[in-house]
Amino acid sequence: MLRKKRCVAMLLAGGQGSRLGILTSHMAKPAVPFGGKYRIIDFPLSNCANSGIDVVGVLTQYRPLELNAYLGSGAPWDLDVTSGGVFVLPPYQTGSSGTWYKGTANAIYQNLAFIEQYNPDYVLILSGDHIYKMDYAAMIKHHQHHEADATIAVRQVPWDEASRFGIMNTDADDNIIEFEEKPKQPKSNNASMGVYVFSWEKLRKYLIDDEADPASSNDFGKNIIPKMLGDGCKLTAYTFSGYWKDVGTIASLWEANMDLLNDRPDIDLHDKQWRIYARNEGYLPQYIAQGAELSRCLITEGCIVEGTVTHSVVSTNCVIEKGAQVIDSVLLPGAHIGPGAHVVRSIIAENARIGAGASIGEADGDIAVVGINVRVAAEAVVPAGVQYEP
Amino acid sequence: MSDIMGLIYTGEMDTRLRELTAVRAIAAVPMLSRYRLIDFPLSSMVNSGIRNIGIIMQRNYRSMLDHIGSGKEWDLHGKRAGLTILPPFLLKDSVGVYEGFLDALHSNLPFLRSCKEKYIVLTNSFMLYQCDFEDMVEEHEKSGADITLMYTKEKGIRRTSQGKYCEVQPDGKVTQIEVDPMISRFDNTMLEVFCLRRELLISLIDLSTSRGHYHFTRQMLQTGVHDGSLKVHGYECKSHVWAIDSVEAYYQCNMDLLDAKNRASIFPDDKPVLTKLRDEMPTRYLPGAKVANSLIADGCVIEGTVENCVLFRGVRVGKGACIRNSIVMQDGRIEPLAEVDYVIMDKQSAVRESTRLIGAANYPVLITKGLTV
Repeated sequence: MLRKKRCVAMLLAGGQGSRLGILTSHMAKPAVPFGGKYRIIDFPLSNCANSGIDVVGVLTQYRPLELNAYLGSGAPWDLDVTSGGVFVLPPYQTGSSGTWYKGTANAIYQNLAFIEQYNPDYVLILSGDHIYKMDYAAMIKHHQHHEADATIAVRQVPWDEASRFGIMNTDADDNIIEFEEKPKQPKSNNASMGVYVFSWEKLRKYLIDDEADPASSNDFGKNIIPKMLGDGCKLTAYTFSGYWKDVGTIASLWEANMDLLNDRPDIDLHDKQWRIYARNEGYLPQYIAQGAELSRCLITEGCIVEGTVTHSVVSTNCVIEKGAQVIDSVLLPGAHIGPGAHVVRSIIAENARIGAGASIGEADGDIAVVGINVRVAAEAVVPAGVQYEP
Repeated sequence: MSDIMGLIYTGEMDTRLRELTAVRAIAAVPMLSRYRLIDFPLSSMVNSGIRNIGIIMQRNYRSMLDHIGSGKEWDLHGKRAGLTILPPFLLKDSVGVYEGFLDALHSNLPFLRSCKEKYIVLTNSFMLYQCDFEDMVEEHEKSGADITLMYTKEKGIRRTSQGKYCEVQPDGKVTQIEVDPMISRFDNTMLEVFCLRRELLISLIDLSTSRGHYHFTRQMLQTGVHDGSLKVHGYECKSHVWAIDSVEAYYQCNMDLLDAKNRASIFPDDKPVLTKLRDEMPTRYLPGAKVANSLIADGCVIEGTVENCVLFRGVRVGKGACIRNSIVMQDGRIEPLAEVDYVIMDKQSAVRESTRLIGAANYPVLITKGLTV
């Protein structure tokens, strides 16, 4: 019998993230690099560590290799503990059956046994596609205080965007009275963040009932939450007001990186009270050569910069050769920019090599992307909005 | 499993580095933006496949313990082998302060006896070099010697009158050893790195201390070479070598490593130098940043001029500030409009707004830990 845990976190990391195009052709979305030395999944995992949650099940399905290798023993997030830890939970075969995860709720349903080992009071459901810093412990406290069956984290979105989200209509006491998925005429602007706290006994019952319903698409937003609401369960909204960004598209991933370059970024990664941890291979300090020109950029370990970097994020082990210019761009780990190359409004994926004098992206227009391990020939041109992967 | 174990001695007399070692052992002196000196021998050992490593601690070893921890960063936290911290040991005939390396080894005989490896590599912690110890032990085996010592032909390694030198014959046989001469007669500088059979070491320690000898090189090795009782072989170090035996040498070593060729000698691509991680965010360069020929760690915020510098983690260079030819350790602050040249700033120190602080190339100013100028 394992030690009882107050809260177990389940992180849904199975999505392909097809809107990220060639960036996710080799890996699941949560494994996509972000902010120079992080990956998207570092944010929910570090939030767990900082919130005192030390059992995290990571539900994987699409191209899990990169993610599995990255998580390892969980040591970077202090999750290499005997009484808990990080567990990769792929779908599996049982005696006669076994299926892929059919939906978010089904993914948790298939891992009931994993959760039951810890006999938790609460289960925290997270997704691996957002950049944010959030104290889950405060949300659980809110859940306890309201004696709720489920608590849904919400954030206020601009009214004109509200019809793109799942909207929670609440009473004066934060109780959710109505849930509307992408309403044409929203009654509130409280959008669900896809972060849920459930009282375990309740969730367990609803997952089992949901699985027995052949008409269900086994999804939290579409099935579990509306069903609980219909049955008169107590659902409360927990309002989160900090920085939160969905990085599900090329444009939003690029934007979230650019957000880090502001004078006072809305998400402070320098904050020692709430560090974002990442697996770190221990590269050399960055070397900035004579003749380099840097302005408003983030650069990290292992980089060698001889050219010009303006308003850009440069990840581990990138090389920017003499005369190269990197403007309004994101270089992912190991990208190599050849001499005199011109990279503007682009994302250059891992270990891509841009040949001498090549030109990637345009000063206005959509973001250009060069795929993982891709070589762009000298003097070649990749126009705005193109995802280049021969 | 490797048949070689490692032992790192961190108890050297450390007054030579002045205030840099007032608060820490030499082995814990911060180096090159994100390392401490011990990272280099320790990583070399790990990269040579050595899995059983002891570290002999002596004075002020709190920052060493903080840095090394369980040995996790070096993958030395396993069950089958790993890191053993050997703090000062009080015996009936010792008071926990070692007279010399041999004395330290004597105090740790129980540890040496408990190990199983055939060979042991001994190293100090104030030399910066890169070595494949497996290669060294292989050459040692072939030579048939009792002890193999590492040396370099590089000139000017030691800047003080403290240094150990040796005469090496073309066949590798060491025929003479000099300790701390004013002017050395031999071109080969010893790195104070040795390998030998573990069991031979145990019997040599026993024999030597019974004669009242406490110093490994000056007494045991030198006597053995000169009276012919020990067959000693010389192994030439293949990398560049720096001896960090003075503040000036420390400064020069950091500056030398701004050169890519020197860095490549100490940091081969396939042999990473491992160190404790701090999870800092990438360094932010804001408008006004002008940076040239500098090594910079993560977590810095740069708004001023930085030229020929080594900056550690979390350093801030304010607007209009100008820092050249300097080393700034963790969390150092150069406030706006300050001007700093040829300075070593220890951890958490600061230079206030509009202050000028200028040292000289051969005598960098040293600001002690936590001080604000």
